[in-house]
Amino acid sequence: MRNKENTKGRVTLFAARFVAYAILIFLSILCLFSFYMLIINATRSNAQLQAGFTLMPRDNFLVNLKNAWNDASINIPRGMFNSFLVAACSAILTTYFSALTAYGIHVYKFRLRKFAFYFIMAVMMIPPQVSAVGFVQLMYRFKLTNNYLPLILPGIAAPVVFFYMKQYLESVLPMELVEAARIDGCGEFRTFNRIVLPIMKPAIAVQMIFSFVSSWNNYFIPALLLNKAEMKTVPIMIAQLRSADYSKFDMGKVYMFILLAILPVLVVYVILSKSIIKGVTAGSVKG
Amino acid sequence: MKKLTTLILALAMVFALSACGTSAAPAESAASAAGSEAASAEVVESGEGTVFNIYAWNEEFKGFFEKYYTIPEGVTVNWIITPSDNGAYQQKLDEALLNQENAAADDKVDLFLAEADYILKYVNADATQDITKIGVTDFSNAYPYTVQAASDPNGVVKGVSFQCCPSALIYRRSIAQDVLGVSEPDDVQAKLDSWDKFNAVAADAKAKGYYMTASFAETYRVFSNNCTSPWVDADNNLQFDPQIDAWIAQTEDFINNDYTLTAGVWDEEKNDQMFADGKTMCFFGPAWYFNFCMGNAQDPDKGCSGDWAICQGPAAHFWGGTWLLAPAGTDNPTLAADIMNTFINDEEVCSKLVSEDSQFSNNQAVNAKFAEDPNYGNEFLGGQNDVAVFSGMTGNIVWENHTIYDQLLNEGLQNNLQEYFKGTVDKETAMQNFYKYVNETYPTIVTP
Amino acid sequence: MKRNKKTGQGEVSYAKWGYIFITPFFLAYIIFTLIPQLMTFYNSLFENYRDGLTQVGPRFVGIQNYITLFTPSSTGTIDMLKYFGNTLILWVMGAVPQILIALLLAVFFTSYRMNLKGQQFFKTVIYMPNLIMAAAFSMLFFTLFSPVGPVNQVLLSAGWIDKSVDFLGLMVPVRILISLMNFLMWFGNTTILLMAGIQGIDQSLFEAAEVDGAGSLQVFFRVTLPLLTPILVYTVITAMIGGLQMFDVPQVLTNAKGTPDRTSMTMVMYLNNYLQTSKNYGMAGAVSVVLFIVSTALSLFVYNTLSKQYKTAPKRRDRI
Repeated sequence: MRNKENTKGRVTLFAARFVAYAILIFLSILCLFSFYMLIINATRSNAQLQAGFTLMPRDNFLVNLKNAWNDASINIPRGMFNSFLVAACSAILTTYFSALTAYGIHVYKFRLRKFAFYFIMAVMMIPPQVSAVGFVQLMYRFKLTNNYLPLILPGIAAPVVFFYMKQYLESVLPMELVEAARIDGCGEFRTFNRIVLPIMKPAIAVQMIFSFVSSWNNYFIPALLLNKAEMKTVPIMIAQLRSADYSKFDMGKVYMFILLAILPVLVVYVILSKSIIKGVTAGSVKG
Repeated sequence: MKKLTTLILALAMVFALSACGTSAAPAESAASAAGSEAASAEVVESGEGTVFNIYAWNEEFKGFFEKYYTIPEGVTVNWIITPSDNGAYQQKLDEALLNQENAAADDKVDLFLAEADYILKYVNADATQDITKIGVTDFSNAYPYTVQAASDPNGVVKGVSFQCCPSALIYRRSIAQDVLGVSEPDDVQAKLDSWDKFNAVAADAKAKGYYMTASFAETYRVFSNNCTSPWVDADNNLQFDPQIDAWIAQTEDFINNDYTLTAGVWDEEKNDQMFADGKTMCFFGPAWYFNFCMGNAQDPDKGCSGDWAICQGPAAHFWGGTWLLAPAGTDNPTLAADIMNTFINDEEVCSKLVSEDSQFSNNQAVNAKFAEDPNYGNEFLGGQNDVAVFSGMTGNIVWENHTIYDQLLNEGLQNNLQEYFKGTVDKETAMQNFYKYVNETYPTIVTP
Repeated sequence: MKRNKKTGQGEVSYAKWGYIFITPFFLAYIIFTLIPQLMTFYNSLFENYRDGLTQVGPRFVGIQNYITLFTPSSTGTIDMLKYFGNTLILWVMGAVPQILIALLLAVFFTSYRMNLKGQQFFKTVIYMPNLIMAAAFSMLFFTLFSPVGPVNQVLLSAGWIDKSVDFLGLMVPVRILISLMNFLMWFGNTTILLMAGIQGIDQSLFEAAEVDGAGSLQVFFRVTLPLLTPILVYTVITAMIGGLQMFDVPQVLTNAKGTPDRTSMTMVMYLNNYLQTSKNYGMAGAVSVVLFIVSTALSLFVYNTLSKQYKTAPKRRDRI
């Protein structure tokens, strides 16, 4: 088709690219600035931080790193492991079961189908703060404190993720494909796992990132349910550092820990975001 | 239309289920409680549990505990530390205390920490127990106000404080010299020992280009600790003590005349004033404040360590302090009592708290020893013996007219009035916002 | 409809799979979310709070909590409506640019014609603010814009202002900061969602449009947008729900105070005020019910309006 493009088209394309890069660079600077601040702050001692903000890094980076890593009351590798365990499990459960539910409602015609859909849509509107306190009390009654289950299992029912999967299926899944699979004698679960899931790969990767990150950063509920030091997750540890008593209070250490806590999610993000692109080429099906 | 019907159906289900939800839950909890009690807890020699759970919001006491207390053999101490952020500590503690009866022996709260600001919430409740009955009986060394604070309305003592936190006027010697012509604590005290004098000096400070204080709320505690009536009357009506009114009037005056900055007590803007080039003469705070929270003043390059001194100031008051409270239903009462006794009556431990940890201990005899020691002095205060100053002040501190609502009412008033002091809203609006805050926070209190 | 006839009786036997597939979701939902939520809703009809450690109630009071909620304060305003207004303003200020920019970026990234370089870098960077915890992010903004913070220092030294500005104490700057933070935290997220949506569209449609000589704008409005509608509907609705539930950013930035004069207090912050100390399930329940009704109504309205639009548009590839 290239030869059809005239000079005018090339000029517009050039202008469009220029605008695109300008916007992207501007937004990237905005986004990176907070990280720059975080990194700068992680290189400063508590006293230097108290004295106000500067744009120049100081020489306290390694000291902060050592202090954070060696803090007697927080075990960073352990915290990261715990957070990773919880976040990974809940991300997997969330995406798998949301996709399953969305598929169930999208593909099958059953009497309560509409009801189920509108029910989930309605409950999606209830702010999580509404159930948080009741949830904690209930878990106390079930004796599920100091247990990761209350942090992982609720992920099975994520209305927002369900809604995304449903909308995604609506725009990408041809019914003919499901019917073809049935004719080939493929069982329903097999159809879902082997044929539908691959098609949904981009959607799953996207939602997996989001659920992983939100679970990784979740503070309020875990703080109320986890007592044991060896079970604590990263955000609880950060809060603990921030509320350290006056004699041990060290903001430099806090910034260092926040920085460390971002690294694993960044890695997960980069890995998964590649599979969003790959998913499209590998999983795309001609209808 | 069809969609509407399904939606209504969905909503109906929500409400129909609500009845089941609430009635089913207690049955389940009873079942699970029975299950956990079946597993009996191990016991040690004293016949008490082997697991000792301490609830705290930070590691301060944990540090002292591990340094100075020897845990009996066979006992494991569990620290359940929840930061105070968003009220998480009290929320967690409350759940645990209200669940204390049903909890397995090894999960029961055996000791918990509370601050002066909200201690009455726990002292006045049945969730804490009389410590004289478990073996803490000697309060002769402790400062009376620390015992009063841990006593319920009938005088039953429920806990002890391991530190005493009298708060002083902390001033810059060089600025005092410039403004008052004197800089030694006794001389400065003579010129600032009443609010009238303090307010008058503020004008002199301004004339010389200084600020009297760096925060609009700097003097709040000095007033509020000396209230003659509680925040609520017998009928739960919110009332303003003359001391609170006096604080408001003073702050209005200070702000209008530029005697103070409008920053909060913990704001960076205030901390900046602690540098050598700061223009503020007076701060208020206890030992922990100037030893640990005035980092800018101690900065080797830009600070002014040694240019400071303390005196009582216009009125006696205190700030902070951590109490150890004995929860009802603990399975380790003997151990809890022993810990309390150690931190108020063990002379060696209390001495070390002073000499090694810069605390002002809750043991009068020990503090007196340091107060009389001519070799003891604080470098930051230019060698002044701070223990001596504090020892002289503690007798004047009163603990009266407190309610379980104090912490948040004090905070709420300051926060809402700050907007008025900054000029963002008028006084009437600020007060209305304070009342809204009170209604949301404490439904029992009747606001004007 | 055609399909129904075709599958005929087979449909009956497949219906049970529908129930099987949605069971785990509903089970988990009922146990972990619905029961606590229902307790909250049910509680809105009771006087139920804590006074210190003492439990007051629950005592049935009918709709008293709702009456309290809608009783004008002494200044004649209904507080609840004020917080609802705040929430809407803050949401619109953040969400409208968020969705528009995200749509633009998603088109940039997926356009084969533009073929932008460094995509992986940009995609990573724009999502990064979402990785920082809201609390830490607000902490950074708080330091940046404090009266002695770097922004004031720069403005002062440039001579643009002669006295430091109290950004966090003034209505307009506070609202702008909150919206900016919400924008920064979420536009990358939205971009990724829309990108995944666009990539789900059959590439042959774009190729066909190009063969037919359609310009980029035409391709966008005639092909991309209609086919992206389901995902766009999702984006708008979740952005709206997220907006109505806005909490952590203003909460941390204003220290839970909603300064100044409660003009940045959102509905959920208000709800949280009741839960925080007094565990006032009665009033908090009433606020939740109101919030629930408002958001459901708004979302259904948006869902139906937008979905209707796309149903009239050219259909999915299985129909082509």
